[in-house]
Amino acid sequence: MDMTPDAQLGHLHPISSLIREANQIFFRMGFTLAEGPLLESEWYNFDALNVPKDHPSRDMQDTFFIKDMHGHVLRTHTSPVQVRYMESQIKKGAEPPYRVIVPGKVFRNEATDMTHEAEFTQIEGLVVGENISIANLKGTLELFLKNMFTGAQVEIRFRPSFFPFVEPGVEVDMRLVGDAVPEKLKDKWIEMMGAGMVHPSVLKNAGVDPKKYQGFAFGVGLDRLAMLKWGIDDVRYMHSADLRFVNQF
Amino acid sequence: MKVSKLWLDKFFDAPLPDAAALAEALTFHAFEIDGIEKVGDDKVLDVKVTPNRGHDCLSHRGIAKELSAILKIPLANDPLEAHPVLAPVTTEVTVDLHRTVLCKRYIAGYIKGVKVGPSPEWLRARLEAVGQRSINNVVDATNFVMFNIGQPLHAFDAGKLGSLSLGVRAAQDGEVMVALDKKSYTLKDTMLVITAGDAPVGIAGVKGGMPAAIDETTKDIVIESANFDGVSVRKTAQALKLRTDASTRFEQVISPELAGYGMQSAVELIQKLAGGELAGYADAYPEPQPPMYANVTVEKVNQVLGTGLTGADIADAFTRLGLPYKEESGVFEVSVPFERLDLVIAEDLIEEVARIIGYDKIPAAPLPDFGKQPEINQNFAAAESLREELIKKGYSEVCTSVFADKGERMVLNKVDSVRPYLRSSLVPGLAEALAKNKPNKDLLGLKEIKLFEIGTVWSAGKETIMIGTVTEKEKASEKIFAPANSAGYGELPVSTAARFEHFSKYPYIVRDIAMWALVDTDAEKIIRTESGTLAVKISLFDRFEKGGKISLAYRIIFQSFDRTLTEVEVNEIMGKVSSALKAQGFEIR
Repeated sequence: MDMTPDAQLGHLHPISSLIREANQIFFRMGFTLAEGPLLESEWYNFDALNVPKDHPSRDMQDTFFIKDMHGHVLRTHTSPVQVRYMESQIKKGAEPPYRVIVPGKVFRNEATDMTHEAEFTQIEGLVVGENISIANLKGTLELFLKNMFTGAQVEIRFRPSFFPFVEPGVEVDMRLVGDAVPEKLKDKWIEMMGAGMVHPSVLKNAGVDPKKYQGFAFGVGLDRLAMLKWGIDDVRYMHSADLRFVNQF
Repeated sequence: MKVSKLWLDKFFDAPLPDAAALAEALTFHAFEIDGIEKVGDDKVLDVKVTPNRGHDCLSHRGIAKELSAILKIPLANDPLEAHPVLAPVTTEVTVDLHRTVLCKRYIAGYIKGVKVGPSPEWLRARLEAVGQRSINNVVDATNFVMFNIGQPLHAFDAGKLGSLSLGVRAAQDGEVMVALDKKSYTLKDTMLVITAGDAPVGIAGVKGGMPAAIDETTKDIVIESANFDGVSVRKTAQALKLRTDASTRFEQVISPELAGYGMQSAVELIQKLAGGELAGYADAYPEPQPPMYANVTVEKVNQVLGTGLTGADIADAFTRLGLPYKEESGVFEVSVPFERLDLVIAEDLIEEVARIIGYDKIPAAPLPDFGKQPEINQNFAAAESLREELIKKGYSEVCTSVFADKGERMVLNKVDSVRPYLRSSLVPGLAEALAKNKPNKDLLGLKEIKLFEIGTVWSAGKETIMIGTVTEKEKASEKIFAPANSAGYGELPVSTAARFEHFSKYPYIVRDIAMWALVDTDAEKIIRTESGTLAVKISLFDRFEKGGKISLAYRIIFQSFDRTLTEVEVNEIMGKVSSALKAQGFEIR
């Protein structure tokens, strides 16, 4: 008799598991999942997001350009889908409120090491309505991170920061408190994501009236989230296709 | 930007709190701090000034102003307070902007009879604290003013300029200039140069020229305090691979008003350190910067922040920041200081209020009722059910790189220059992944390696999402991924893994042991005890009964975290395992 079980189950990649979990949490809060292309026009990746040409803020992200495809880049963030989504809704005649999450691959042209990858995964959140505030951003992120790190008390804090597509812009830190929290993470403030109130120019570029509507947006690195959640010490495992890694999840 | 604590103290009546307290104040109300370094008696903060504040905060004065607002300590000495008076005017030096739009202002200050020499100790200490090398009193004075208020300056030796008819014009294609770094630069017509009698003497906003450099023989000097276009300076500095403290400031865009303050401060300091007599100024400033205003209502502030702030709270934030305002029935009209080019729209002012009050004072609030149902994303729904289906069949999900050795689309500027194409198929990546995992099959306890990937490819001129699979029996293949038509995502399981466990990067050795069990003793326990910590996996892989006897077969995988194991040492361990099993009444087959 062969003792190896016939019905050996395969495993879900940890990033897919996080996207699934995030989608479950946000779906309950009314968020629709949206997508966009990885090879993106500079208009959606930069200009529409209030990142002017030849401005130092474009240096904030090292960008991959494509041969014989002038004006196109490998998207440096999931934020272009903010504009694409709003535009498509306006075209359909659907005015805000909007609630969207955008999980997906993004690219930065940098050398890889234990904490840096040229390709990684982000999840973007966008909420637009008549009275959406920074306080709602705080409440939403608290709820999301509490659901992601169940068993711990999750605290978040905002620090001022700058991203051209939000105003005000903040950096979000998280702290996990409680007996169930691994020693390495316990009571330490960890930088989690950039966020802020959608810049009126971005709403305008997407065809949404910034006098009537306002909203927030945030972008979390899922590789980093996975590394924190499971104590993974090398980001390169994510694209290693090594089952010694994947089959642990 | 490096910021000296002792330098900051000079803006206030009494020394500021210690560097750690300043770092904390800036972190939560203005900028991230990359570190604090001790330099002599001084502490130097590495402040990460955000691109929106490059207009005013790439300077000690800018950071002092922030600290004044955050800590509620008024600035005792503000170099931007009293409007500069550029008198007397001289006609000995002339400036012609040649109607270029790339130079908003050019002030030349002419001082005769300076005595160039070493800088005093205090000045050397200040500059060295922020990582600068002291050169001489005149050059150091111009650098001090730049780090003090953010206006880049330059000093020319008037005697070596050849002409005091200064100009700003586009360079000629191929025009060559030797800069202060003694390197010669070949210029293009998109670049802007400073000229004396039409000969280039400086690359505008980037670096001065060598021929008119200040040295011990210098007697008369011309000080430049100008305003150059941000994009132009940025492109020039990039093209020449010559980023300087001046170019980083210009490329962030600074106010042309600042040039006046810079000139006056520099002339005062040079005269104090090197003597000389001011002959006068020539100021070419065709279109002075108009006054700037920004408005916001109390209602809008609270609507955006989700707070219940009063007019008095907002007024307090503006007062602390030194933003003059008028308030009328809930509307604040802020008269924006000339250097704060970042304050344009209501949201800019709201950010000022938020960060001065502190983000910790903003409550967390749940989202209001949505009144709509979220849509089901049919691509994602299809991907999710496909994942579940394949996982049930034993396939594990991998994520391989989109970068490949060949493909239709090539990346222009890949930093590491390996795999510069975007993949046109999932197949090569999956085949590679299969080969990589095959040797680990025993370690993984798998009968067969089966992999799948849902990923993007670029082929036939399109970006397409594909689903690819590979097993040891079936070659890698892929097909176009089709969206679903689902009413929902279903309740799908997520990973229940607690923590990631490291695995050894060294090869492993497999040994099988089969035996007849005559007694009711736990064979696995004996194997575990005898084989020790190098046995990373012990599994019963075969069991049958014959003639009242039970046959057991175990597979043991040996692996070390720090070295490659030898056959000899594993055989030795297996010898011990066999002996122990025999001693307990097992008959080894």
